[in-house]
Amino acid sequence: MLSICIKDIKIFFIDKKAVMLTFLVPITLITLFAFAFGGIGAKQKSKPIYLPITDLDNSSTSINTINQLDSLSSIRIDKMSLDDAVEKIKKGKIVGVLIFHEGYEDSMGNSGDMPIELLYDQAREIEIGILRSVLAGNLYKFQGKSQVNDMISEHILETYKGVSPGMLDTIMTNIGSFYNKQNGPEGSAPKMGSSLTLTPIISESDDRNLGLIQAVAGTAIMMLLFSVSSVGAGILVEKDAGTLKRLLYSPISPVHILYGKMLAGNIIAVTQLSVMFLFSWIAFGLNIWIDIPSMMVMIMSTAFACTSFGIFLASISQTEKQVDSMATIVILVMSGIGGSMIPLFVMPEIMQKIAVVSMNYWGIQGFYDIFWRQLPFTDVIIRAGVLFSIGILMTAISTFFYRRNILRLA
Amino acid sequence: MQYIRGIAIPDNQNIMINVQNLCKKYKDILALDSVNFHIRQGEIYGLLGPNGAGKSTTINILSTVTLPDEGEVILDSFNLRTHADKCKNILGVVPQEISLYDELTALENLYFWGGLYKINRSELKQRASSLLDMMGLTDRKNDRIDTFSGGMKRRVNIAAALLHSPKILLMDEPTVGIDPHSRNLIFDVIEELHSNGLTIIYTTHYMEEAERLCDRISIIDSGKIIAEGTLEELRNISNIKESIHIDLTSIPDENSFKAELFSDFKITQHENSIDFFTTNSGRDLSKIISLLTESGHEISSLEMRKANLETVFLNLTGRQLRD
Repeated sequence: MLSICIKDIKIFFIDKKAVMLTFLVPITLITLFAFAFGGIGAKQKSKPIYLPITDLDNSSTSINTINQLDSLSSIRIDKMSLDDAVEKIKKGKIVGVLIFHEGYEDSMGNSGDMPIELLYDQAREIEIGILRSVLAGNLYKFQGKSQVNDMISEHILETYKGVSPGMLDTIMTNIGSFYNKQNGPEGSAPKMGSSLTLTPIISESDDRNLGLIQAVAGTAIMMLLFSVSSVGAGILVEKDAGTLKRLLYSPISPVHILYGKMLAGNIIAVTQLSVMFLFSWIAFGLNIWIDIPSMMVMIMSTAFACTSFGIFLASISQTEKQVDSMATIVILVMSGIGGSMIPLFVMPEIMQKIAVVSMNYWGIQGFYDIFWRQLPFTDVIIRAGVLFSIGILMTAISTFFYRRNILRLA
Repeated sequence: MQYIRGIAIPDNQNIMINVQNLCKKYKDILALDSVNFHIRQGEIYGLLGPNGAGKSTTINILSTVTLPDEGEVILDSFNLRTHADKCKNILGVVPQEISLYDELTALENLYFWGGLYKINRSELKQRASSLLDMMGLTDRKNDRIDTFSGGMKRRVNIAAALLHSPKILLMDEPTVGIDPHSRNLIFDVIEELHSNGLTIIYTTHYMEEAERLCDRISIIDSGKIIAEGTLEELRNISNIKESIHIDLTSIPDENSFKAELFSDFKITQHENSIDFFTTNSGRDLSKIISLLTESGHEISSLEMRKANLETVFLNLTGRQLRD
């Protein structure tokens, strides 16, 4: 068994094309996905959201609201004409534009509908969703604050008819200072009632970057499935070349031929995953040293499950071509539903439930547990256990089909 | 008659392989039908037959890859059914395909195949080196197999079967598709192994190979051994001593020689050439020439040949070996 494993590893490393496909292609894809999921640079802070604004009201209230929005660190304002904005949306250069229509100032006093509009490209609804969530809290707060100020001014002027404009300004400034003292300099959420305070339990930090973890784990597992499927197909290559028959002439047990190949596949898979994580550490600063035992267990269980899958595909096929075609379809489907291509957290709930049938899901969630949630070994071992169980089941089925299909044809 | 593990063994003979009543069926096709033979130690035993005759099935059973439906095989006192592992250790198999790893060198291939037999590392190195020397490949030992010619690959293929010093060597058409130089070298190697007392089963459909190498030959057709013996014994079995090979200037009608006129002769026809099989060519030659001339055929050349395995096979089965 060991002889077969060593021979297979030797042949694998002689084959430059196989080595390149196993290591360079996944590294390239991880880099691309890391950029796509915004995982580049774990220490990089989130950039402010770009918000084009058209002020058709051009009143002191609209200017004041825009200035307050501009003062927020999470938003970067860019004023432009309506025609310019519409043109840029059509050309895909901007996501949308916030328009303050004429009558905005007047609407503040009468508590009617505010003439504010967000024009946007429907194809970019996800980006608009993020923008809306930022605007919703802040914009209405500024407007509410302004309306309250107006109401207080009116009330003071009606009640205390002799109040001079200077005195009124002093009173309003004091009220404003008190408001800011209570709610923070940017007018963040009032303590009660007016908005929901969001406090993340797990958030991005120096050693955590969700996009990067998704890119590395998702891509590495998907590419691993591709490489181990070709390792599995190796048994059919041997059958075609006649070397499998010669192996059967030797005193080695037929099942040990299969297990020798699986062992080689496992070693290559563990190496591939380890190289992927090392690359992510060197290139993107992913902290892979948080919990080494958990990471090693997850790497080994993922490698075992994926290798068993590769051997399983080979055992139910009759030619290498069959394995290739089947592997492409099954791996793409599993990767699609398992979260390798699109992060599970942006998928609908039904898809998140279906995902559990995919090996990718268990692998990715396991690596999330280690690098994102930073759970203890006892929690990580559950995901690893599922992967080991999948591996054992696949190996048992593969052994049965190997005896029935491959040995008979050898 | 003596018995080993219930199998009858001919007396006073050092029997290395004893095959009794071997049957194998693949779905509806009877690949082997009650095959019996025994091979003495140090013999080269030829299995001669056309494609699909049952040669490879016999080799597959003897090499433990396929189980027979019926019958018993004893290899050097080990029953194949009950002691397959022991049988594997005394068997060397040279498969019909070149079963080597192209990406590895000749030496690496031999180390790998030898390693499967748990040969001591230093002994393996020594064996591999001497076998490569025997095969005339010492200077190419560190070259990858995919840089070798077909003949060189065949030689490494044979060397890989000899690493564990087997008592029995099964050679399944080991010279298919190779150049004359490599073929002669392989023949020399086989003769050397023979002189060292190795028992060899040699399957081929090249009669000249069987004639040159084999001590005894069995002719197998449609899963049955139809004749067995030395070349001389086979010639006697077939009752044919000679053949007259005639080339005609034109291709005759396929029914020309089915006429009563030629009913005294065994005839095979291939396009414009005809073989007449006879026990006395001197007596029959003039009769054949006059019959051909009378029936309007023009002879372009004529050759008289001594009976060989081809003619024996033809006489026994009515078909040519390479049909």
